[in-house]
Amino acid sequence: MKQSKKIFCDITKCVACRTCELACAIEHSATKDLFLAMLERPRPRARTFVHFIERDVSHSIACQHCEEPPCMEACMSSCISKDEKTGKVDIDRSRCVACWMCIMVCPFGIISREAADKNKAFKCDLCPDRECPACVDACPTKTLSYETRDDFSRRIKQEKKVYEKK
Amino acid sequence: MKKNNAYVIIGNSASGLAAIESVRRIDKTSNIINISKEPHRPYSRCLLSYYLAGQYNKDILWIRHEDYYKKYNVEGLLNTTVAGVDVKNRALAIAGNKKISFDKLLIATGASAKSVDIKGADKRGVFVLRTLEDAQGILNMLPSVKKACILGGGLIGMRAAYALKKRGINVHVIVKSSHIFSQMLDAEAADMMRQHLETNGIEISTGLEAKEILGKDSVEHLVLDDGNRLDCELIVIGKGVAANLEIVRGQVKTNMGILANEHLETDNKDIYAAGDVAETYDILEGSNNVNQIWPAAIRQGKIAGLNMAGEEAKYEGTYGTNSLDFFDLAVMSFGVVKPKNDVDFEELIEIDTTRRLYRKIILRSNRIVGGVLINDVERHGILLHLALHKIDISDIKYILADEYFDFGKVVPLIKRQAKSFARPEYNDTCATYSPLY
Ligand SMILES: Cc1cc2nc3c(=O)[nH]c(=O)nc-3n(C[C@H](O)[C@H](O)[C@H](O)COP(=O)(O)OP(=O)(O)OC[C@H]3O[C@@H](n4cnc5c(N)ncnc54)[C@H](O)[C@@H]3O)c2cc1C
Repeated sequence: MKQSKKIFCDITKCVACRTCELACAIEHSATKDLFLAMLERPRPRARTFVHFIERDVSHSIACQHCEEPPCMEACMSSCISKDEKTGKVDIDRSRCVACWMCIMVCPFGIISREAADKNKAFKCDLCPDRECPACVDACPTKTLSYETRDDFSRRIKQEKKVYEKK
Repeated sequence: MKKNNAYVIIGNSASGLAAIESVRRIDKTSNIINISKEPHRPYSRCLLSYYLAGQYNKDILWIRHEDYYKKYNVEGLLNTTVAGVDVKNRALAIAGNKKISFDKLLIATGASAKSVDIKGADKRGVFVLRTLEDAQGILNMLPSVKKACILGGGLIGMRAAYALKKRGINVHVIVKSSHIFSQMLDAEAADMMRQHLETNGIEISTGLEAKEILGKDSVEHLVLDDGNRLDCELIVIGKGVAANLEIVRGQVKTNMGILANEHLETDNKDIYAAGDVAETYDILEGSNNVNQIWPAAIRQGKIAGLNMAGEEAKYEGTYGTNSLDFFDLAVMSFGVVKPKNDVDFEELIEIDTTRRLYRKIILRSNRIVGGVLINDVERHGILLHLALHKIDISDIKYILADEYFDFGKVVPLIKRQAKSFARPEYNDTCATYSPLY
């Protein structure tokens, strides 16, 4: 199977600035404008998360669009699907009944409950209105990238070599 | 010689469907027959209580398109009951003396709701909640129901109670154990949930059992074993389920369910079992078990289908887990929630009653074996998978039950115990991580 693109995080470059979270929340707001989005209620929420791994080490993580998504197997209304071509794992909001079975089994803990609004599960949708997800475009240190697994590993290996020489 | 049907799958629910879909990924042409005693196209019985509550219309139930059988090139025999399996001759007996032969058989007959063995249980107005007919039957009664009694304080009983309450009916839940959700929750968490349910108007009595149902033809009263008599027009029984294994009893090995190995095959070659009817190895309990839940049924059906079609796939084993949400308070649990002896187990507990937060994690030799979360449930899956992969969590024990626990804290473990983290996505998350300290 052809590898599909997803969001990767190069932990060595992350400075925990949380610009990705901000860009994500704005992209998923009604107005798509930082200042107006701040006034929206319920307040737009990010679907990617910056965590500390160690004291000065952080990463940004969102849905991994797993090869074998546990959420898809657990969903009791069959509203989660994986696109064979793009690899994207999607939640059909019209059929989500808020049973939270997907949250129950997500190995990464990145599915959220939209409790304040319509009571639906939500997570990274790879920004359907954009070519490249908003978090990746916004990342000031180029920590985040949108590429295939092979491209990612090749690239980080190369970059490591370059740095080691210096 | 007459050719057998390559694949016969009994049951068109979670595990039957998952099996069809994985067989077809590999084998696009062989004949598949799918039999269901229910007359309906595939539906999710888990959603029946949501339908009952009136939160969604009937359409929510259908989990596959109308032309599903056509798309997957499957011969669907609905409204058809398998009376028995002739294991020796590789054939099924169905009504009308017809026989259906098979090369590979999957038994995905699921489970049936247990009833209660008390006087009056056959009266009009007494229901279980397992099939679409059950839900429809309850719905038809509703106009004449003022009060309903629910027998059983487990998942199904409480889901039914919640649904009826949403319909504006007074509900009283009668629970034999000293706590509600006695299978799924520990006592403290159960108390927290009980208080929440009672505050929202659901009446609950524990330590009591129903003794007799009174009424002319229909239910009028429920007599309890303490002598009390409750007026009600509807009774819903939520006393657990039992595997539908009668059609093969005595022919393949059974216990609480049909015993299935790591390929989901029974002790009889080419006969497979998956879903609520199957008994398999439980990763967290460390022994055989029936975990009659949707995710297990899907996973088992999927693995069974692959093996039936000739692609060897190993089942990692089953585990118990569930998720509930009542009046906007979510609760989830997995694995061992009430360890039987205290010596081998360690518990991490964080409770905040004002914010109604509850986190309990059960450890055994520094491996997670179970957990209960209330309200703050988003990281449940992280803990579950650490448990399933039997990860040594000593390094992050201090923060596991903490409010600030998140996936970041798991990354160093992946680096150190890479072999145990089987998913490729785990590797993606730590490929660029090198420990600073
Ligand atoms: C109200 C309710 C709520 C639930 N909520 C949850 C939940 O929140 N989370 C969760 O994980 N699980 C939940 N469950 C459990 C879940 O529905 C089951 O685990 C799941 O349906 C099991 O799927 P299955 O394919 O093994 O069998 P089943 O769903 O039991 O289906 C059995 C199939 O076999 C067919 N069949 C049986 N006997 C015969 C025969 N002799 N001949 C022909 N066909 C036959 C039936 O027609 C049916 O198609 C709930 C169940 C109910 C009823």
